[in-house]
Order: sequence, then structure tokens, then C-alpha cells
Amino acid sequence: MELLIQIVLAFMRVSVIAFGGAYAAIPLVENEAVTVQGWMTYEEFADLIALDEITPGPIIINSATFVGMRVAGIPGAIAATLGAILIPCALVMVLFKLYSRFKGSAIMDNVMVSLKCMAIALIASTFVRLAVAAFMPGGTLTSIQHGVYSIAVMAGAFYLIRYRQLSPLPVMLGCGALNLAVCALL
Amino acid sequence: MPHHDAGSESLGKRLLTLFVTIFSISATANSGFAILSVMKDEFVRKRGWFSEDQMADFIAIVQSTPGAMAVNASMVVGYQVAGPLGSLVAVTGCILPPMVVMIVVTAFYEVIVGNEFVYLFMRGMQLGVVGMLLDVLLSLFANVTKKGFVYPLVLVAVAFVYIRFLGWPIPYLAIGCALAGVVKALLFCREASR
Repeated sequence: MELLIQIVLAFMRVSVIAFGGAYAAIPLVENEAVTVQGWMTYEEFADLIALDEITPGPIIINSATFVGMRVAGIPGAIAATLGAILIPCALVMVLFKLYSRFKGSAIMDNVMVSLKCMAIALIASTFVRLAVAAFMPGGTLTSIQHGVYSIAVMAGAFYLIRYRQLSPLPVMLGCGALNLAVCALL
Repeated sequence: MPHHDAGSESLGKRLLTLFVTIFSISATANSGFAILSVMKDEFVRKRGWFSEDQMADFIAIVQSTPGAMAVNASMVVGYQVAGPLGSLVAVTGCILPPMVVMIVVTAFYEVIVGNEFVYLFMRGMQLGVVGMLLDVLLSLFANVTKKGFVYPLVLVAVAFVYIRFLGWPIPYLAIGCALAGVVKALLFCREASR
């Protein structure tokens, strides 16, 4: 029980400072699980980064579940996940209430526009990183054909979602299936 | 009070749609932006539960809060659709798939990480995510530039440099942006309070 409480508290600490998206959360989890708590070695933690890439869902939830599961089994996984979501959920509701209360005032309008500008910059930053990673897996462009193919898939997905109004989910799955078919057959 | 814009549909039906939509995207995508994009498509475009403007505000609120973006977005969107119960249902739908998958995967991870087909499928999905992000970016940009180009353009540029090249903590950026908004509102007070 004491261990479970410790897990909850550890992930509360991580979640409060986890600003800036999924990739910003990984070093925070590493610091807590490897350095502060000594729950696992760095090598074990490195496996987690690979797992985050191939498993669905938010990276913070994946990481919490992985660490909690390793430390204390399924109860640990549940404790870690709850620890990771409680404080952010409370904070987002506070902001939402403030927003609902002051919506329409000049100050609130300008604050929201400014925060949306930050959101654009954050998404643009992720966009650049993902585009580079998708275009050059492992940091190098393997071949011209592969580069052209990657751009074509990205552009196709963009076109289908923006101009054909397709739901993103089937488009994502289609891209996965297409890539599997193309790379496995050629 | 949450807006029950979805008037004609019963609470139970709304909760079910909320759960199914968020559960299915959380089970397949691993980016918070994917969740936001699907929410926009399903709740704004298809069902009209709230407006594109409200969705843009939610994205800004979610981005200003620490933690998993998808979970925070579920919290707010769930509340907007069906109050506290909506939040609970949406957040549960969001965390259930990654938790269950990760518990299973942690037990068998060496086999799964090494599988080439899984790797190729995930890589294809990453390409799609890039295209999807571009759509999200364009929609948000159109939203902030409705009342003039200069201020949003400068702020986006400054924030992008801050995030990408300076690498300083994001909370300071959020506070800075909020303050910039307050200052702008006060400077143009007369115009804004019309």
C-alpha cells in the first residue's frame, strides 16, 4: 500500500510539470523513475521509449502504466495512471471555469487569442519534428524514392482530411496499411 | 453550466457517442493532436455539439495545462457535452485503451518491439499524422487571424522561436502569452470595450 501511494505521488510530481507535449514528458518520467526513485535502470527505461512509439494513447499514460506495472504489477499500473491524470484534470477544469465565466470580455478574448498563438507554435514545433522524423527515419534520407513516397503519403493524408472531410482515424489506419503493403511487397 | 447544445439527443446517447469516439481514437492513435482532430471532426463537423471557435478555445486551454493533452481535452469536451458525468466517461474512454494495451505489452514487450510489420504499420501512421497536423495548424491559424494578422503572426513567431530554439520551460511561455493578451486588451481598451 505504501508503495502504491509512493507511485501515485511520483506521477503527480511528473504530471504537474509536464508541459509542452508528449516528448517533453519522457525525460521527466525518466528522472523520477530512474534517478529519484531508483525503480529501474536506464536500459529498462530505454525500452519504454520504443514501446511508447508503437502503443496507442498519450505517452504520459503509457509511461505511467509501464513504470507502475514494472514496480507493483497491475495495481501499480492503475495507481501510476491515476497519479498522472488527477492534478492536470483539476487544473484544466479550473481554466475551463475561468474561461466560461469571463468569455466575451475584451481581456479574456485577447488572452485566448494569445494562448491559441502559443498552441499554434507548439503544434508547429511537433509538426516539424515529426515531419523530419517521418521523412528521414534514423536521421538519414535512405533514398530519393523513399523521400518522394513519404511526402506523397503526408500530402495525401492532408488532402483527404482537409478537402475531402474524411475522419482522421480511417486516414491514419489507411496510411499504416499502405506503408505496410508498400514496404513489405517491394 | 455546461451547454447542452446537443438538445435533441438523450443524455445516454450523448455519453455513449462520447465514450465510443474517444475510446476508438485513443485505441489507435498515439498523439494528443490526433485526439483533438478526431474530436473536431466528430463533435463539431458531424454533430454540431459545439462550434469551431469553442473547439479552438478548448485547444488553447488544454495546451496551457500540464499533463496528457488527450486526457485534458477529454475532460473539457466531456464536460461541455454532458457535465461532470461527461468528463468522467470521456476520461475513462481515453485512458482505458493505453492502460490495457500497455499492461499487456509490458508483459510481452521484446516480441512486439522486434516485429517488423508492427514497425512498418506505425511508420505509415506517423506519415499520416504529419498531414493531419497541417490541417489542425491551418484551422487554428485561420481562427486567430480573424481580427487582424499582425499580432497573432508576431506572437506565433516569437513562441515558435522560444519553443524550438531557446528550449525554456513552457509554463513561462503560457504566462507570458496570457500577459501579452491582457496588455493588448488594456492598450486597445476603448476599441475592445465597444
